[in-house]
Amino acid sequence: MASTSMSRRFAFAVYGLLNPIPFGMFVAALIFDITYLRTGEVLWNKAAAWLIPLALIFAIIPRFINLGMVWANRRVIVSGVDKLDFWLNLVAVIVAIFNAFVHSRDAYASMPTGVWLSAVTVALLALGNVLIAARASAEARP
Amino acid sequence: MIRILRWSALTVAAGIAACSGKAELDPAQQSGAAPDLPAARNFLLPPMQVPDKAGWKEGQTPKVAEGLRIEKIAGDLMHPRQLYTLPNGDVLVVESNSPGSEAVTTPKQLIAGKIKNLSGKGAKGGDRVTLLRRNAMGSWDKHVFLEHLHSPFGVQLIGDAIYVANTDAIRKYPYQSGATEISDPGVEFADLPGTVNHHWTKALLASPDGTKLYVGVGSNSNVGENGLEVEYRRAVVLEVDVASRGSRIYASGIRNPTGLGWEPVTGKLWAIANERDEIGADLVPDYLTSVQDGAFYGWPYSYYGANVDERVYPQRPDLVAKAVKPDYALGSHVAALGVLFSDHNALPEKYQGGAFVAEHGSWDRSPLSGYAVVHVAFTDGKPVGAPQTLVSAFYSDDEKHLFGAPVGLAQDKDGALLVADDVGDVVWRVSKL
Repeated sequence: MASTSMSRRFAFAVYGLLNPIPFGMFVAALIFDITYLRTGEVLWNKAAAWLIPLALIFAIIPRFINLGMVWANRRVIVSGVDKLDFWLNLVAVIVAIFNAFVHSRDAYASMPTGVWLSAVTVALLALGNVLIAARASAEARP
Repeated sequence: MIRILRWSALTVAAGIAACSGKAELDPAQQSGAAPDLPAARNFLLPPMQVPDKAGWKEGQTPKVAEGLRIEKIAGDLMHPRQLYTLPNGDVLVVESNSPGSEAVTTPKQLIAGKIKNLSGKGAKGGDRVTLLRRNAMGSWDKHVFLEHLHSPFGVQLIGDAIYVANTDAIRKYPYQSGATEISDPGVEFADLPGTVNHHWTKALLASPDGTKLYVGVGSNSNVGENGLEVEYRRAVVLEVDVASRGSRIYASGIRNPTGLGWEPVTGKLWAIANERDEIGADLVPDYLTSVQDGAFYGWPYSYYGANVDERVYPQRPDLVAKAVKPDYALGSHVAALGVLFSDHNALPEKYQGGAFVAEHGSWDRSPLSGYAVVHVAFTDGKPVGAPQTLVSAFYSDDEKHLFGAPVGLAQDKDGALLVADDVGDVVWRVSKL
């Protein structure tokens, strides 16, 4: 029992460490996409093309931990917000996978599809983050 | 839950796979003055098919058309790329490959580079020139002619000087007829565009009077994705004045002019060029064209005249309006890398006149295209009909294994056709049966 508790804590710690990274990268990719859309300066296109697959790689471990926390957790009652956050993240990852391929196109061929997909990815993740934060603040109320 | 995850994975896989289109047009439909050009598409994953390098087995050769025979005259070379016959019948073999100076700046380059290297096309070049001389027994002796070059490609003799086009400069070496080695360090004759070197080959051709050198300089990207500032003096044919060493842009907008030649009837300059990738298995056909002084041939803004490429930003309708349509399409993604105009040779009658073209073969197309040496007939200085294949079977019937790939062409003293093969590391000789 004690070891399970330890591994749970470890999983939560790893989740807390890695989960914010993809979101930040997707936000940066969106900013670079908008910059490229407006300027045509290829640096920004290439920067976004790196950020999206890197964000996806960083997302692998926290997404699997989240999968376990939401769907295989028999000790805590999982709320609807947690489940919604899981689905928002899943859709965001699928959209980002398509976006990584769109960003492998040469020059302006990644636009405007790439910027739309980046915006959708960020919006989905942001909504999940806001819902989780709102619940946390509601629970913290005396 | 699991079902939904599986469904998601399948959706992603199917979505990506559905976007990689197979070729629908026959290479012959995309040859000639007016090739069929389907609408351009953007892909999630461009069509890609690369056979694994197998090399030639002992005694195995490419197939030749009826009435021809083929023999290997040199092997164990280090990526032979170009051939040049000297007046005394000696044959120079330029052994070379990319300098590898292009930085990896996108995830795609990282992955595509690894895939393309499976075919053996990325093997290390010798950075040297080997001389082949036919001995009394009829076989060919190999001599190391010139070493310590820097990704050389074109080589030309003017008078008693040999000019070698390294990837970043033309070098000039003294030559005496009959020499089998040049030990003189030579001098840098003229500077060539040498940054990035996405397309690194510098084709070289002297004017018949020896006063000018023409240089084919390829673009630094597929279609401008490395920024247009790195395309200065790129995708052009340069004209270098031999007396002053000064150069100017002779023609522009030719994405990758890999071979140059003089059409014997009209005396006009012609070039083969490799067109852009990743907008379809049937786009854009590589071409053979006359090169007009001052003309713009479209790259990167358009292809075959006014077919606009929407991947370039900003668009330039003013340049598209000026774009000249090339004379003759060779087929999509065939990767023409060698051209030889031959007025008279020792091959059968139908190969007299016209141009031989070596097609190194595709990666951005399924099924494969190119991997052959073809002949394009000319009438009154203009190409006619479809290209006729002379040399083929460079890959296995199932398209999985690659034995060789033709690059440079030359005609030897006896009028036979020589073919450099940079995957098999062989020089082939094609003659009349």
